[in-house]
Amino acid sequence: MPVLSTQGLKKHYGKEPHIVRALDGIDIAVEAGEFVAVVGMSGSGKSTLLHMLGGLDKPTDGKVIVDGQELAKMSDEQLTIFRRRNVGFVFQSYNLVPILSVYENIVLPIELDGNTIDRAFIDEIIDTLGLGEKRDNLPNMLSGGQRQRVAIARALATKPSILLADEPTGNLDTKTSQDVLGVLKMTSTKFHQTMMMITHNEQIAQLSDRVIHIEDGKIVREGRS
Amino acid sequence: MALAVTIIIAVAICFLTVLFSYRYVRKTFDSIDQVLDSVLAKNTDLPLEATADNRLSKLTHKAVKIIQMNTMDISQTRQEKEIIQSFISDMSHQMKTPLSGIAMYTDLLLEGRITEAERQEFLSRVKMGTEKLQWMMDSLVKMSRLEVGAIELSPVSTGIKQTISDSISTVYGAAAKKNISIQTAYFEDVSLLHDRKWTSEAITNILENAIKYSSANREINISLETLPIYTKISITDYGIGIAPDEWNSIFKRFYRGRNAKGVDGAGLGLYLASLIFHKQDGYILVDSKPGKYTTFSMFLQNCKK
Repeated sequence: MPVLSTQGLKKHYGKEPHIVRALDGIDIAVEAGEFVAVVGMSGSGKSTLLHMLGGLDKPTDGKVIVDGQELAKMSDEQLTIFRRRNVGFVFQSYNLVPILSVYENIVLPIELDGNTIDRAFIDEIIDTLGLGEKRDNLPNMLSGGQRQRVAIARALATKPSILLADEPTGNLDTKTSQDVLGVLKMTSTKFHQTMMMITHNEQIAQLSDRVIHIEDGKIVREGRS
Repeated sequence: MALAVTIIIAVAICFLTVLFSYRYVRKTFDSIDQVLDSVLAKNTDLPLEATADNRLSKLTHKAVKIIQMNTMDISQTRQEKEIIQSFISDMSHQMKTPLSGIAMYTDLLLEGRITEAERQEFLSRVKMGTEKLQWMMDSLVKMSRLEVGAIELSPVSTGIKQTISDSISTVYGAAAKKNISIQTAYFEDVSLLHDRKWTSEAITNILENAIKYSSANREINISLETLPIYTKISITDYGIGIAPDEWNSIFKRFYRGRNAKGVDGAGLGLYLASLIFHKQDGYILVDSKPGKYTTFSMFLQNCKK
């Protein structure tokens, strides 16, 4: 059973004749432990896709199923809790809380769900991501690459069913991108994390197990690496 | 009288509390039992809500996770089995070509009605075939040992300079034959987490490819750059190049690039190299412009201070 799947997923904006088909019938299945990259130019619909998958937006037609549950059938409150427990996000813009330290940022989603913190696991994540010396620093004292590594740690901390990364290296230079992506790949392998990454960068997509190319809201090519 | 009433009320309250507690505990146990039943039946469609803000919901959520972990383990095992099956069929297919060539030329040689020039030609083809088989066998042995885990790579903190120069000296002769000079940009030696023998083998494979697909009389450039987590070793050749839609395929077992037709090879070198880097928590990326250049960037983890 796939961890995440979509069936005939569509998202249209506006009305005929000025209709914009951001997504036009997408069928994807991501198996447990897989690292899938979705590659497309800007405007291809890839970000819309990620928003649908994370339950941040509702589809016009079709289904998004995460962990056997259809997102559209949930109420807003259920969706919030579902996301907190099952989906990890890594965004281009890091989205760290500026007044919390690195460590506090990482454990925030665990505390929000009222769970006890598995210290050994968190320490392992922090260590693997090379953040040991920075754990008490505030985000504004970190470089872009370090901030994104904190965001990755935060996404991994709750052991989500799926980690969704939207242009995770969009704000980083080529070298830092390669460094951060390498560590993202390494941690996902180490912690058996299922992951989907959206990017326009063909080179970065090489690190994934499978690449899905989308254009104009449709899948045009799919290949296993 | 008043005392008797108080006692009766107190007893009644106690009784009710016990009754409600008992019912609550029973209900909770029943719910937990339901969740466990679903776990046993491997059914993720649990009867209870996994998305409410209460304890039972958290429990349900964790049950779903356990079921998933289970299915994941099973599917991983199945995948590994498929990999082995496809590997065996790929391998037998790959061995067939050189083997049937050898058989055919040996037959022709045995028949004897051939000129001396033909004889030389056939013998050299037989030699080429056996060399290819030999090389494939060597790679296969290494690969299977790595894949099965019979060889554990032992990445330790050691200087990378020696590892790179070991690889360069291995391919020096092949480079000299094509009058290719291997230029290494100056770098300070750094300690990286790696297994010297195997890493050198992987770098050698990348260098051999660079030499093979480069035009004669050109350069091959090696450079090294330290990033926060990884150190990047880049090898650039100015040869035929690789089209972007092939970047993901070239590391596959037995894959031969479209541009590589006519150049000898079995499609194992890059696969082996990437396997070696992955085993050490590193990775390889490729960047190329067909007809201009190809850069392979290899990433190894820096040693933590």
